[in-house]
Amino acid sequence: MNLFLWIQLNPDALKADHLMLAVIGYSVVFLALLLLYIFFRQLPKLLAFNLRRKLRKEGEPEKAATAGSAVPGEVNAAIATAIFLYLNELHDHETAVLTITKAAKSYSPWNSKIYNVTHFRRF
Amino acid sequence: MEGILRFLSYSGFANVTAGHIIMILIGLGFIYLAIRYEYEPLLLVPIGFGILIGNTPFMEHAGLQLGIYEEGSVLNYLYQGVLKGIYPPLIFLGIGAMTDFSTLISNPKLILLGAAAQLGIFTTYIGALLLGFTNPESASIGIIGGADGPTAIFLASRLAPHLIGSIAVAAYSYMALVPIIQPPIMRLLTTEKERRIKMKPPRSVTKQEKVLFPIFGLLLTGFIAPGSLPLLGMLFFGNLLKESLVTKRLADTAKNALIDIVTIILGITVGASTQATTFLTQQSMLIFVLGALSFMFSTAGGVLFAKFMNIFLSGENKINPLIGAAGVSAVPDSARVAQSEGLKADPSNHLLMHAMAPNVAGVIGSAVAAGIMMSFLL
Repeated sequence: MNLFLWIQLNPDALKADHLMLAVIGYSVVFLALLLLYIFFRQLPKLLAFNLRRKLRKEGEPEKAATAGSAVPGEVNAAIATAIFLYLNELHDHETAVLTITKAAKSYSPWNSKIYNVTHFRRF
Repeated sequence: MEGILRFLSYSGFANVTAGHIIMILIGLGFIYLAIRYEYEPLLLVPIGFGILIGNTPFMEHAGLQLGIYEEGSVLNYLYQGVLKGIYPPLIFLGIGAMTDFSTLISNPKLILLGAAAQLGIFTTYIGALLLGFTNPESASIGIIGGADGPTAIFLASRLAPHLIGSIAVAAYSYMALVPIIQPPIMRLLTTEKERRIKMKPPRSVTKQEKVLFPIFGLLLTGFIAPGSLPLLGMLFFGNLLKESLVTKRLADTAKNALIDIVTIILGITVGASTQATTFLTQQSMLIFVLGALSFMFSTAGGVLFAKFMNIFLSGENKINPLIGAAGVSAVPDSARVAQSEGLKADPSNHLLMHAMAPNVAGVIGSAVAAGIMMSFLL
């Protein structure tokens, strides 16, 4: 038996307004995110604008052309790994002074086996 | 003797119906899935337990002020946060404070996948109308395809409060089932060669860009769809708290204590709102069917749009279409699905970072879609 026999399509319920809402709604979602895309695509260039102008004034057009361009993640990862490895290789500076620590434990009745409570345990 | 009989008439045993038993089994099923398989446990445990609370039988209409729909009951007071749309924006605040938009900022063209993957919202809206739902009800059902529980609850609370329980349970259930629903569609719509596409690593993002993102993100989307302001305002505000690095305490509260408290109350009240008498209806079954279709269409929309974008992209700029499926939001499960499907095609191809971009863009996209629906239908 078909469980969904009671489902009935009603094409008359669909009006032009509904289709318009769906099309416009989907388009507006695209428009909103398209604006975000355009803005954040241009943002690195906008942020580097002052730096480029400064470099051009200082007579370094080559540097100005590449200023603000993205550093690839792989380059960052390589730099971070190199720093990590370098710091890992470093050792603490030792004083080279020898010290002798006392090995024997000082006696106390509190840590003595003789006075331990288990000494008098009952069965 | 009369007192004992009266006590028995008030007990759950005297008032239990088949509907209560079915709903209790559903609640137990949610808890089982969450604990045994760890499917969205932070959501399914509160919702599952809420279903148990909401469907423990008692003598309704006796003025005991126990049920979630009875004025004056504690559950009813807590439920006001759902009905008035208070909890979803607070959850968005926490999500914003947790989310790192770096991958999206570093490769902004992936934002468009988050827009394309909202296809299911609008196709399901049409489908629900064809099945006899009213205009506001159809919009509330369609938003399930946005794969965003708080957004679905927010829109339903405004447009169709009587359907909140069904819509919320459908949305969260399908979010938990993302690893089962999405992969067949992703494999169906892509070739083996496409699934092996390796994308170039994302570039590093400066602090300036991260701080500017929530500010301009809010202004750009808010001006277009003001209806989404309660959600997107809080999302971007939470993100600014995180990225500004000067409000660490506020960001910590938003992403830990606050979101946890709201998730607990939201989960319990949404679960409790699924009382058998209001939940077990033909409408609810239709909502579940439409919700599944909505998810599928959204997944297909994201994947197909990634393939469409690839027509205009070349070489290392090409997009692996699997990450299009992550545009449905369902953060971060759908991104994880893209990663695991990518690894199946090529064990050295890690797509997780790339997939997070359309994933978080999907959160923005579904909130914008909800705002548009509200602007048209309220």
